[in-house]
Order: sequence, then structure tokens, then C-alpha cells
Amino acid sequence: MNEFVIAYFAALIIASCLAAYFKYTRAFMLVFSLTLVSIIVGIIGGTSALWTITIFAGLLALAAALSYAFREFLIQISRPGLAKELRTAPLTAAFGMFIIFTYAIAGVFAPWIAPHGQAEVIAGAFAPADANMLLGADQLGRDMFSRLIYGARNSVGLALVATIGAFALGAVSGLFAAVKGGWFDQAMGRSADIIMSVPSLIFALLMLSIFGTNLSIIVIVVAIIYSPRVFRLTRAVAGNIVVMDYIEAAKLRGEGDWYLIRKEILPNCTAPLIAEFGLEFCFVFLLIAGLSFLGLGIQPPTADWGSMVRENATLISFGDITPLIPAAAIALLTVAINFVVDWMLFRSSGLKEQ
Amino acid sequence: MGDVLKLILKRLGYGLLTLLVVSILIFFAVELLPGDTAQAILGQAATPETVAALRTQLGLDQPAPIRYLSWLSHAVVGDFGVSAVSGTPVVQVIGGRFINTLFLASYAAVIAVPLAIILGVIVALLRNSVFDRVANVLTLTSISSPEFFLGYILILFFAVNIPAFPAIASLSGSLSFPELLHRTFLPALTLVLVVTAHMMRMTRAAIINLLASPYIEMARLKGVPPWKVIVKHALPNAWAPIINVVALNLAYLITGVVLVEVVFVYPGIGQALVDAVSKRDFPVVQAASLIFAATFILLNLTADVGAILTNPRLRHPK
Repeated sequence: MNEFVIAYFAALIIASCLAAYFKYTRAFMLVFSLTLVSIIVGIIGGTSALWTITIFAGLLALAAALSYAFREFLIQISRPGLAKELRTAPLTAAFGMFIIFTYAIAGVFAPWIAPHGQAEVIAGAFAPADANMLLGADQLGRDMFSRLIYGARNSVGLALVATIGAFALGAVSGLFAAVKGGWFDQAMGRSADIIMSVPSLIFALLMLSIFGTNLSIIVIVVAIIYSPRVFRLTRAVAGNIVVMDYIEAAKLRGEGDWYLIRKEILPNCTAPLIAEFGLEFCFVFLLIAGLSFLGLGIQPPTADWGSMVRENATLISFGDITPLIPAAAIALLTVAINFVVDWMLFRSSGLKEQ
Repeated sequence: MGDVLKLILKRLGYGLLTLLVVSILIFFAVELLPGDTAQAILGQAATPETVAALRTQLGLDQPAPIRYLSWLSHAVVGDFGVSAVSGTPVVQVIGGRFINTLFLASYAAVIAVPLAIILGVIVALLRNSVFDRVANVLTLTSISSPEFFLGYILILFFAVNIPAFPAIASLSGSLSFPELLHRTFLPALTLVLVVTAHMMRMTRAAIINLLASPYIEMARLKGVPPWKVIVKHALPNAWAPIINVVALNLAYLITGVVLVEVVFVYPGIGQALVDAVSKRDFPVVQAASLIFAATFILLNLTADVGAILTNPRLRHPK
């Protein structure tokens, strides 16, 4: 028993009592179960385990505070209608938006933020961190931190382009299938079934082994692999709209298919499509990260998070966590997008599951 | 019963057709390549005569549809031809590895399936509680992380910081069964983390969906005790979605296994596929892709058939 342990448990118990007194049932349950867990963890892991919990809780609190502040910031700068929506956003969604915002800044301004070039060799292999290199050097002596920043541009950029490709392909064919119907609808539907019946990573490996790994091939292959998901969603949503009276009216007016899609159907199915775009981006991002990790994605010396993990993986066996940072960057962005999408789906579906 | 049988047969036929189309896709995708296999095997230095001889020997002078039929008829009985890089039969390259992959996947499944279903049902019953919220964030994080991230974190904690398990899952030498489980524990755990998260979320959604249906509310209103609502009313209808969830996630294991095998240097078919892709060894790529696709289609088929079989409305037609 030292001062830290006493202060730790005192703080937890006081916090749970306060929460109970002011009738914050959820907060009470959370804090008190943390207290109970801490007793067990403390007995097994000792003071160091409790420190870990403290640091973790501190980080969580920091993230929550940051999200709260960022949500206020967004509410202040957006117009009244949107501000009202944002007020109802949970903290997780605000956190997600903050992360996406940060990544966007890092990606767009990479050359100005990064202290060194992405292919610039400035030190010995695996040189440790110093004042010049925040995270040390990689296997060729390039600055890890700069490569991480450039990775935000390259990895996210590539995934974004591929997602836009998948979306354009899937949404356009889905809309046309809904409007045209008949054999075109059938043919597109069956092709989507076929593509979805091959596991995506396997399909990508097969195609990349045949066509080689350059960026445009990756974008095309990934776009084709993930377009059936968008196709099915668009087809389902648009299918419900096509039978509406106003579409019938527009058809009788003699409007063409393209007009119907652009002016009558698309405006009515943007909400589910935007949410799907977020989810689709996550899938594409993880697939491309996986391919890069296998050495079949973005080719060196361009910085890319997936291949950075692979190249520096040997460091892990020495207990160094630097190679995990790019992987964590991938996970963080995907989680952030999922948080935002969760909120958007919740909002658009009007689901208030109580 | 006639209707159910018809439905299942129709589904089986559809699955078989899909597999056939996928095999056509896999075969003809490689056909698009410039150059041919004979040239690839013999290298640039080969004389035209030897290339021609090998072409005849491999049957490459036949038109593509005939070669496809012969490839398929051999593939069905497990003969995938000869590796373009090593010259050994493809079966030797991937046969044993396929068994290893199946072992790893079933190891993960045996842990993940009961765990995920139990946790999923608990979370669904406790929905909107603190426990549910925490589980939601944790499973979301696990799903959003690339498999190699989870794998390396496990290596860092359980192989480097606390050296309890080996970081490299090598299967060389004769191993007793407990030792085998010990060596492959970390790769299996990585898969368990990903698949459990997926399965838990889907089970939760399925159960909540079910509990919201009017007949459950009716049962509650007429005073049936809560456990009886679950066991007698909810569970018979929950089997279909749960079986669906399990089969879909086992299919998901197939993609996960490739990355996990590479992280842990596990001698499985996923790693063979990745090696073959980087060496452009097409017979191996074709065989591995076909095996993966067939397993995937089979599991999806199982999901559908299971859903048909366990649907009380179909089993007891009016």
C-alpha cells in the first residue's frame, strides 16, 4: 500500500458516491464496477497495473473532453439547422469527426507538417528517437514520423479514390438497374452475386497477381470488388422510389432515364448512400492496408501505413511499439468513421431503441 | 416437407452454379495474361522447339474452353497441375497447408462461436446498459483494426513482454496435441478477437430484432416469466439468425486467416497463396483461390440451408 494506491481507490470511491448521490446511475455503475475490477487487477498486477488503468482512464477523459470541445466548436461554426442536429450527436461521433478532421489536415498539408521527405534517408537503420526524429528511423533510416504523416496522404488518399470508384460504379449501375429493370437489372444483380461470392482479399490477390501491382490496377480491382455492396443498397433504395407516383408522372412527361436518376431518385436516396460511403471506405481502407501489408499495395519508397508495419515488424520482438503506430493509425481512422456512421444511421433511421 | 426439400435443392443448385462461374472466372482471368505458362516455366532462354514441346505436353495448344474443362475435371478430384515455379505438383504444395489452415480456423471457431453467442445474447438482454455500451465500443474497435494490428499487439504482450507463447507458429517436427494448441494459440486468438466481435454484434442485432416483435410482447403481456419468453418463444426463432451469423463469420475467417498466417509465419494455405502471388505462380494461385472461394460459397450455402431448416414457419406449413 503506497500513497498512489490509497489516492486511487479514494478517488474512485468518492466519485462513485457522488454519482450515486446525484442520481447519475450510469456513471455510478461504470465507476463502481471499475473500482471492483481495480481491486482484482491490483491484487494480480500490483501498482503498475493500477498505473496503466489510471493512464488509460486519463486518456479516455482527455479524448472525451476533446470531443466535447470539438462538438461545441462545430456547433458554433455551423448554420442553425445543422447546429441543432450536432447538439444531439453523442461524444463518440464528435470524437470520430475530430479524428477525421485531424487526418484530413495531416493528409492535405503533409509536405508542410512532416519535418523530412518520405523517401529521405537521414539516419542509420532503426536509429532511436531523438530531437530531430520524434519516432526514430525505419529500416532504411528514414524518419518514421514524417512517413507516418505522408502515409495519411498516400494510404487514405488511395482508399478514398478506390471508394469513390466503387461508389460511382455501384451507385450508377444500381440506379440504372432500378430504372431500367428487366434483363439489365437481372444481369447486374447476378454479376454482383458472383463478385460477392469470392472472398474480397482472395479476389484482390488473384487479380493483382495477374495484372501486377500498380496504383491504377489496385484502384480498379478494389472498386470492382466493393461495388456490389453499393449496387445492392442503391438498387434496394431506388427500387422503392421508382414505384412512386411522381416518378410515374415524370415518365409520362417524357423525361429520360438520366433525368429521372439525377433529379428525382438521387436526391431521395442520399442519406443511406452517405452512410454507406463511410462503411464502404472502412472496408476498402482495411483491404488496401491488408494488401500493402502483404507487400502488394503501394510500392516503396512511397510511405504507406500497411507496408510500414511489415517493414518494421522485427522491432516488435524487441518490445518496441513503433511499428504498431501505423497500424494503430489505420484502426483509429476506421473506428472514427464507424462512430460517425453509427450516429448518422441512427439519425436517418429515426431508431430510438429504448 | 416437400417445400423445404425443394427450397434446399434450389439453393444447392444455385450454389453449385455460382461455384462453376467462379471457377470460370479464376481460370480465364489467368488466360488474359500475355505470354504463356510454358514460356514462364522454361524461362526466356528456352528454344522455341522446347517451348512448343512443353506446350503440347501441358496441353496448352488446345483451345481455351477445352483446357478449362480438363483443368476443372482434374481440379474436382484434387489434381491442380504442376507449380510453375518449383515444378512439384500443386497438391504437394498446398495439400498439407490446407489441413493446417483448417486446423487453425477450427481452433478459432471452437473458441469464438460459443463465446460470441453467449456474449451476444447477454449484451442483447442488457441492451443500452453500461455493459452494452462498453461492449459496443470494444467490438467496434476490434472490427475496425486490421488483423495484423491485433496479431502484433498479441505478440508484443504475450510473446515479448510476457514470454508465454511463441511469436512464430512453426509446426516443424512432431508435436503432441497440447503443444500444437500452445504453439498456435496466438494466431487462433487473433482470429477469435476479430470473429467474436463480428459475431457478437450480429447476434445482438438478431436477438434485439426478435425481442421487438409483437408475439414476444404478447407473451410478456400475458404474464409468461422472462426465462420462458426466451427459451420457449424467442429461441426457436432465433436459431435461424444465429446459424446465419455463425456461418457468415466462419466465411469471414477465410479472409482473416491469410493475414494472420503471414503475421505468425504459420504454414497455411493463405501464406502459400501470398507467396504464389508474389512469385506469379499461377497454378498455385488458381488452386488456392478456388479452394478459398469454394469454402466461402459452401459456408454461405450452409447459412442459407440452416436458415431454411430451422425456420419453424417452413417446417410446419399450414
